[in-house]
Amino acid sequence: MSFLELRNVMKRYGSLDAVRDFTLSVKRGEFVSLLGPSGCGKTTTLQMIAGFVEVTAGTIQLDGRDITRAKPNSRGLGIVFQSYALFPHMTVADNVSFGLEMRRVPKAERAARVEEALALVHLDKYAGRYPRELSGGQRQRVALARAIVIRPPVLLLDEPLSNLDAKLREAMQFELRDIQRKVGTTTVMVTHDQAEAFSISDRVVVMEAGRITQIDQPYRIYEHPETEFISRFVGKTNLLPGTVTASADGGATVSLAGIPVPVHGDGLGGGEAVVLCIRPEKLRLTAPGQGRVPGQVSDRFFLGSQWLYHVDGPLGTLMAVSPNDGEPPLEPGAPVGVDWSPRVVRLLRGGLPASAPTLEELE
Amino acid sequence: MARNGPVALIFHTLVVLFMLAPLAIVCLVAFTPENTLSLPTRGVSLRWFQAVFAHPDFVQSFWNSLWLALLAATLSVVAAVPAAIAITRYEFRGREFLNALFLSPLIIPHLVLGVAMLRLFALVGATGSFGWLVASHVVIVTPYVMRLLIAAISGFDRSVEQAAYSLGASDATVFRRVTLPMILPGVTGGWLIAFINSFDELTMSIFITSPSTVTLPVRMYMYATESIDPMMAAVSALVVALTAVAVLLLDRVYGLDRVLVGQH
Repeated sequence: MSFLELRNVMKRYGSLDAVRDFTLSVKRGEFVSLLGPSGCGKTTTLQMIAGFVEVTAGTIQLDGRDITRAKPNSRGLGIVFQSYALFPHMTVADNVSFGLEMRRVPKAERAARVEEALALVHLDKYAGRYPRELSGGQRQRVALARAIVIRPPVLLLDEPLSNLDAKLREAMQFELRDIQRKVGTTTVMVTHDQAEAFSISDRVVVMEAGRITQIDQPYRIYEHPETEFISRFVGKTNLLPGTVTASADGGATVSLAGIPVPVHGDGLGGGEAVVLCIRPEKLRLTAPGQGRVPGQVSDRFFLGSQWLYHVDGPLGTLMAVSPNDGEPPLEPGAPVGVDWSPRVVRLLRGGLPASAPTLEELE
Repeated sequence: MARNGPVALIFHTLVVLFMLAPLAIVCLVAFTPENTLSLPTRGVSLRWFQAVFAHPDFVQSFWNSLWLALLAATLSVVAAVPAAIAITRYEFRGREFLNALFLSPLIIPHLVLGVAMLRLFALVGATGSFGWLVASHVVIVTPYVMRLLIAAISGFDRSVEQAAYSLGASDATVFRRVTLPMILPGVTGGWLIAFINSFDELTMSIFITSPSTVTLPVRMYMYATESIDPMMAAVSALVVALTAVAVLLLDRVYGLDRVLVGQH
C-alpha cells in the first residue's frame, strides 16, 4: 500500500537529465533515505516532491492525489532545510506557530500545539528566544518542530544533520528517528552520509548520476550491493577482479591472480569475468601459512573500537578490520595469513567497469 | 583587532578633526551675538535662531524641503523594492540595461540634470510644479536606494521563503511576513540616505524650483549670494541637528552597521 508514489519522474535542465526514471513508492509511516554523492539528483528529487522544482515528466501522487503540478503552498508537506531556513526576525514560538497561523488554527489551540511540538524537541524553555540566540543543534530542532507541528502527511529532510559537528550529529540521528517514530510521519530524507542513512532509515534509495541504482533495507544494501559503485560508496570494500575457472551447481571456483577461490552463486559460466567484494571486517587475519592467501602487514590504523590493517599480498593491498579486543595489535611488517568464509563473498558479474570511480571521486 | 600605532592614531585624529571641525565651528558661530560670522567670545545668544524662525521664507523653504525629501525618499523606496527584487533574482531581457539605467543618475552631473529637467518641465508645461520637482528628486535618489536594496536582497537565503511557502503561505503573505521584514534594514537605510540626499540637493534644484517651491538649500544659497550673516550658521546648525537626530534614531532601532553595510 503506497502513500507517496513517484512514477518515472524526470527532471531535465537543458540537455542534462538531473533525474530520470525515478520510481519509488513509500509506505505510510516509512522512513526512506535518498543516498548518493553530490550531484546525483537526490536534492532535485526532494525539491520536486516539495514542489520547488518543476517536474519535466512523470507523476507524483500523495495518498492517491496527483500533486505533480500542485503549488508548494498547497501540498501541506513539512520540510526541514539544510540551512534550517528559520525566520530570523521571529521568536522560536512564532517560527513554529507560522504554519498553524496559515492554516487559521484558533489561537488557543495554536499555543497548545506549539508548546507540544517544542516539548517534543526539548526546546520548551526556548520559546521566547530568537534563532540567532540558539546553537546549531537547537536551530535544527526548531526547524523540525516547525515542520511537524502542522502534522504534514510527509516530512522532507534535506541533509538535516550535515551542518552539525560529528558528536551532535550522531545524537541527533537517534533523536530524529525517535521523534519520527513517535509522530509516525512518513519521511523522506536526503543525505550523502551512508552512516546517517543506514542508522535511521527503513529503506535506502541509492542514487548515481540521476538514477536509482538500488532500493533496499540498509542491511541488505551493505551486504548485497548490486553494483560495484554501491559497494564502494557504502562503506569500505575490497574489490578483487578474477575469472571463473570451474562452475558447479550453487557454486564456482574463481581464479584470483592464479589463486583458486570457491564462491557461492548460480549460473556462472567458465571464463566469465567477475569481481569479488569482501568487506574488510569479514577478512580474518590468521597465523602465517594459514588462511587462503599469505600477506604482510604494511600499515595499520587505530579506529578506537577497531584496528584497520593494510595487508600486502598476491592480491594487492587488502583492507582488513579486526576488533580491538585488548590484545596487542600486529606490527607493520608482520607476516600473516588472510582468511574468509565463501559465504561472505559478494559476487559482481561483468567485471570492473573501465572507468571505475576512485574513493576520492565518490566523496 | 590590531592596535593602531602612533602614526596611524595621529592620522586618524587629523582626518576626524578635518571632517568635524567645520561642522563644530558652524554650530558655534550660530550662537554668536555679533552681526558678523564670528565665534561667540562675548557671551551666547539665540538671536540668529530667532531670526531664522522670524523669516517666513526660510520657514516655508524648510517645509518645502521636508515634504520634498519625505515624498522623494518614500516613492523611491516603493519603486525600488520590486525593481531590486526583479534585477537580483530573475534573468530577463534588458536586465543589465535596467540596472545601469537605475544607477546612471550617479554619474550624470546634477548640473546637466538640472538643465535637462528645466527643458523637460518647460516642454510639458510643468514649470514650477512641486509634483515634477518630487519626480526629479526621485530620479537622483533612486541609485542609492537600489544599491542598498540589491545588497540586502543578494544576501538573502531563498530557502527561508521556500519554508514559508511549504507552511502554506501565499505569495503576498510570504512577502509581507518574511521577505520584507528580512530586507527591512536595507529598505530603511536606503530611505534614510535618499532622504538626506534629497534634503540637501542644491545643484539641480536651483534650476527647477519656482518661488513657491524653493527648497532650503536653494534658499540658503540665494541668501548667501547677497549677504553673509550668522543666520546662515543658525540654519546650518538646525540642519546638522536634525540629521544627527535621524541617524541616532536609526542606530538605536537597527544599528547603523546593519543598515549601511547590509549585514544581518
